[in-house]
Amino acid sequence: MFLRICWLYSELMNIYGDRGNVMALVERCRRRGIDVEVETRNLGERIEQGRYDIFFMGGGQDREQLAVAKDLCGKKGEIIRDEIENGASCLAICGGYQLFGKFYKPFEGDELPGIGVFDAYTIAGKKRMIGNVIARSQLGGRSGLLIGFENHSGETYLSENISPLGMVEIGNGNNGSDGKEGAIYRGAVGSYLHGSLLPKNPSISDFLIEKALLRKGSLLSFTPIDESIEENARAQAIERARKSH
Amino acid sequence: MRTRVALVAGKLSGGISRFLNIGGGSTFPGRVARFFDSGFVHQIEGELPKGSILITGTNGKTTTATLLADILDGSGIKPIHNSTGANLMAGIASTLVRETDLSGKLSKEIAVFEVDEATIPEAVKETNPRLILVNNLFRDQLDRYGELDTLAKKMKEAITKANSEVKIILNADDPLVASIGSGIEHDVFYYGIETPRYSKRKMEHAADSKFCSFCGAKLRYDLYQFGHLGRYHCVSCGWEKPETSVSAIDLETTGMNGTICMIRSPKGTIRAKIPLPGLYNIYNVLGAFSCALCLGIEPEGIIDAIENFRAAFGRLEEIKIGEKKILMILAKNPAGFNEVLRMLAEEDQKMDIMLALNDNIADGRDVSWIWDVDLEVMAGKAGKIFCSGIRSWDMALRVSYAGLQEESLVCESDLSSALDIALKSIPHGGTLFLISTYTAMLDIRKILAKKGYVAQYWEM
Repeated sequence: MFLRICWLYSELMNIYGDRGNVMALVERCRRRGIDVEVETRNLGERIEQGRYDIFFMGGGQDREQLAVAKDLCGKKGEIIRDEIENGASCLAICGGYQLFGKFYKPFEGDELPGIGVFDAYTIAGKKRMIGNVIARSQLGGRSGLLIGFENHSGETYLSENISPLGMVEIGNGNNGSDGKEGAIYRGAVGSYLHGSLLPKNPSISDFLIEKALLRKGSLLSFTPIDESIEENARAQAIERARKSH
Repeated sequence: MRTRVALVAGKLSGGISRFLNIGGGSTFPGRVARFFDSGFVHQIEGELPKGSILITGTNGKTTTATLLADILDGSGIKPIHNSTGANLMAGIASTLVRETDLSGKLSKEIAVFEVDEATIPEAVKETNPRLILVNNLFRDQLDRYGELDTLAKKMKEAITKANSEVKIILNADDPLVASIGSGIEHDVFYYGIETPRYSKRKMEHAADSKFCSFCGAKLRYDLYQFGHLGRYHCVSCGWEKPETSVSAIDLETTGMNGTICMIRSPKGTIRAKIPLPGLYNIYNVLGAFSCALCLGIEPEGIIDAIENFRAAFGRLEEIKIGEKKILMILAKNPAGFNEVLRMLAEEDQKMDIMLALNDNIADGRDVSWIWDVDLEVMAGKAGKIFCSGIRSWDMALRVSYAGLQEESLVCESDLSSALDIALKSIPHGGTLFLISTYTAMLDIRKILAKKGYVAQYWEM
């Protein structure tokens, strides 16, 4: 069993410890005996069709996001979108999540086109939304909760055709008004949550790995693995979020 | 008159908070004084005959400011210094309250203030600086400071507005910091490391500033010292690392004991035995050296003070606990943490390590940054590992992902209990390497003080 992860713009979109997500995917594959390889693809580097099973992209500063948006327009973005249509899995966090939507509208200037994996758009907001987030989600493990930390001013709105990743219990989520957090479409998950997201939300890791294996025709049944440290970290973070709220 | 009232109120409040033992004596009097007179800092600081020096940057503020204060002290100029790391305006005001007698007279002639990066605009407005030093800009507490580019821009705006006689001292190896000196009216004085002895060809994961501040193109590096510090140039617009006036031209590290360093300046080249380990401390020394030189102190006098330096609060403090000892190290962001690990990994022995992670506002409420820390470099070097603090389990999870001997991992969120467990389980004559975030370090010091091991922090 073998999976190849494509870490998009590892050099530019790696703010807020988003690297932890890649580490979590690798570690959970390793613990299940799945061979895994990570390749980084940066500005100007092309993506070979059919080569990758899981895509990952993190967040970046404004200037970096602009450079990445330019690089993604055209062929590169199209290939990623096609791969996801064809069953590849994907995690896009914060700035990455915004660029996987249809467009980003800044205060001034032109709309920044996204690659349109998610039927969603983002507009620049005045208020920065910062803090711990707890959201109810089907991918929230036994307790049904996602836990993470948001730090964004963009407000993302989903169309009717697409499901949110969860509904916020504490925090702002996509836009601070409709209660939705993140998006999920086929094997692609978008979210504003850092933390890093995957280490403390192992059910999302498993979802991504499972989808990627399914595409390869493998019906591996997941044996449970020891998650005691993960569970403790989740419990502590959830308690902290509720107390400081 | 209003300033006098503010001063008396500040002094009284300091006495009361010490009497009630509520701690935080380092900022409370300043808050009270500024409440009574918003121009308090401006009024009192204006009385200093030799003015003040503002020292900022993400990492190394306290060490650089303490070094400079020691150098000044050694050459007979008595400085005021906010030595407890209280580096917002309230902390600066508190320092002034403490150093002024009731008639409004200051006891010293010059001030060395370490200033929080985001507080620089306020500090430049409220004081009359002679020198402003910016040591580095790393990502740190993005929930509080926002993005680095914005922070640098605000800093440059503030400096542009400062009196044109102010000298600006900048780390040339940090492109974002160096860009502050470009196109301003002020005299700019650059320092940096000019030897490739310990540099790398590859950028570390926690590197931050990769783009040219002038044209936005990606910077090309000939070498990296650590993080994004190194020798760089822009292939697109030609901007490059500025020429340095003060530089380390040769280095030889002696592990945890420190570094031997050749420092070149317009006054010639001098050898210094720096008693602090790690490349990051070389930058702190070069920064303090540059300030002192600008204040007219001779290199020999500067080196004398540096060689006799004791680490600043929580920056590598050794505390004896009977036969055992604790080495306390503050690490509050990935760049600082990685430098600490790089230094520890050079040791030949296995080390018992305690990691204390808090997520209070002063630590940064977002703990994501620990995933940018390269704990993996401790593979084979780490003995027992103890995780503690408000987010102890996040740290434990990070440690387990780094593959550092999960079987000897102990997680106890209560700092006092964790310290007891850790100290009990290290061997006689052994050392506990305690790496901690800011508020966890304050708590640990309180716990140790209760047990009679360290001075309470306001006594320092």
